[in-house]
Amino acid sequence: MARIRAVLGALLLVFRRDSKSFGSVATNNFFLMSVLLLQQAGVFLYLIVGLVMFFPLSTDPLRKIPPSRLALWPLSTRERWLLRVASPWLNPLTWVLAGLAVWAARGKVTLGMWATLAAVFVISFLAPSLPLAPRKGAWHRIPNFPGPLNHLIRKNLRELLSTLDFYCALVLSVTVLAVRLASAKLPSDALLPMTVLVILALSSYAQSLFGLDGDQALTRYRLFPLRGWHMLAAKDAPFLLAALVLTLPLAPLAGMAAALAALAVGHASSVNERREQVRWRFSSGASFGPSMLQVVLLAGAAGTVQTYPIIILAVIAAYIGSTWWYGRALERGLLES
Amino acid sequence: MISCRDLTRRFGDFTAVDGLTLDVAGGAICALLGPNGAGKSTTVKMLTGLLPPSSGRATVAGLDVARESLEIKTRIGVLPEDLGLFDDLTVEEHLLLTGRIYGLSNHETQSRTDQLLRVLSLADGRDTFAGYCSHGMRKKTAFAMALLPNPQVLFLDEPFEAIDPVTGKMMHDLLVTLAARGVTIFLTSHILSVAERIANHFIMIRGGKIVWNSSAEELPRSLEDHYFDLVESPVAEDLEWLGSARS
Repeated sequence: MARIRAVLGALLLVFRRDSKSFGSVATNNFFLMSVLLLQQAGVFLYLIVGLVMFFPLSTDPLRKIPPSRLALWPLSTRERWLLRVASPWLNPLTWVLAGLAVWAARGKVTLGMWATLAAVFVISFLAPSLPLAPRKGAWHRIPNFPGPLNHLIRKNLRELLSTLDFYCALVLSVTVLAVRLASAKLPSDALLPMTVLVILALSSYAQSLFGLDGDQALTRYRLFPLRGWHMLAAKDAPFLLAALVLTLPLAPLAGMAAALAALAVGHASSVNERREQVRWRFSSGASFGPSMLQVVLLAGAAGTVQTYPIIILAVIAAYIGSTWWYGRALERGLLES
Repeated sequence: MISCRDLTRRFGDFTAVDGLTLDVAGGAICALLGPNGAGKSTTVKMLTGLLPPSSGRATVAGLDVARESLEIKTRIGVLPEDLGLFDDLTVEEHLLLTGRIYGLSNHETQSRTDQLLRVLSLADGRDTFAGYCSHGMRKKTAFAMALLPNPQVLFLDEPFEAIDPVTGKMMHDLLVTLAARGVTIFLTSHILSVAERIANHFIMIRGGKIVWNSSAEELPRSLEDHYFDLVESPVAEDLEWLGSARS
């Protein structure tokens, strides 16, 4: 039993550390704004954030040990079986599901709700062990883009798609699309706030554009004969593409203005204070001040452009100026770090 | 082709490279040798523009490393210590990206990529994401990226570590051919037997300072013996508990 206790102890430590990375939600623009301003819609937004977070949280703690290492440890068959049975209980969601099962039995939670959550949990828990298609199969289907930065942009799109920010924005966008397709008349007044909400959900990523690039990637950026603005533009292109696609059912022009403003402001923290990000988590934003500035400017840009579309030219000019300026700062920063 | 004068790099109070002065001729294969922490990788980083020197001056291909770094990048190929790969790109995508960034046409990039994948036995794993590759595959990918733009100078940090014997032999032959065609190769290695076979110029450093700098012909005895004498001798200590009866 001493061996099992040692392994479970180490697993608990690793799992706790990993779970702390979900703390990034506390400095995420979307979460901040829903706490500060959107009290009415709070429950709806928390439900979306909760659902988006539920999937990556439902992981098998035993996967934290590399299989080759686990196979090498001198554990008996009985000990391995015990480890298999005990390790899921290190995940708090297992206890939540067990608690909800008791509530469901007492009729306090609907059986359908419990079954849905249990299904999400089981799928996420088992998916990595299933003999599915080759790893990252979907990542191969990322489209090509014109120009020499094609593969850099594809890489950056893959990074954006491995943050929860994108899926939070996607759920919002798809919800509105579903309402529109169901021929329910959505008041035109609602389009702008929903557009701002979608870009808000994406905006923290714009403050940490290099957060998913490891140290190796930074070495490669230093070696490539590229200007700083090239690197920033290759980061921004997937963000703008995602913003366009997700705001198409809403107010796309206002959405693009908001996205450009979010990037123009976000370049500063992306370049000057690189914060490492974790995949399948919400992006963490910079400190409160820059985050609020970004939120105010993106909302302001969206609102102004919705009323006066020509203002989009001024937003584009500001974005180009920011890309040029922080591109130079990026070149200097890469050399000095 | 590579020249530096009093090149120094300090990290706080620690001096990693201390007044390095050296010249490497065009077409030479120069091996920079030394123990862990001697300053080999720091030297390569300074010569390739990855790290600014604290003082001193260096030129590569006639260009000043500090002032003409962008121009230098177009003329050199580098296999960095950490390989510099993106987890979200496949092996083939890394090469295609490199070709396009260095200004090659799509057709030329694809043609060189196919050749390099074949020669380095990477063709079967071309669609594998770097994050899922073995260390050997990652190293070969980074090596292929260094070769693809057809550079004038190659900087290779530990190129033969974690490489299988067949690929190692192929890389060795390739580098010798490249040098014969005038490409300058500057490499670091811990594998003295490989360095002795491939290089014709040896520089040994210890504590950031050069302790030996000569052509292969000027070595007084075997590289290994000379290295152990000048740089560092193996520590002889018996770990008595190893192999003894278990308690």
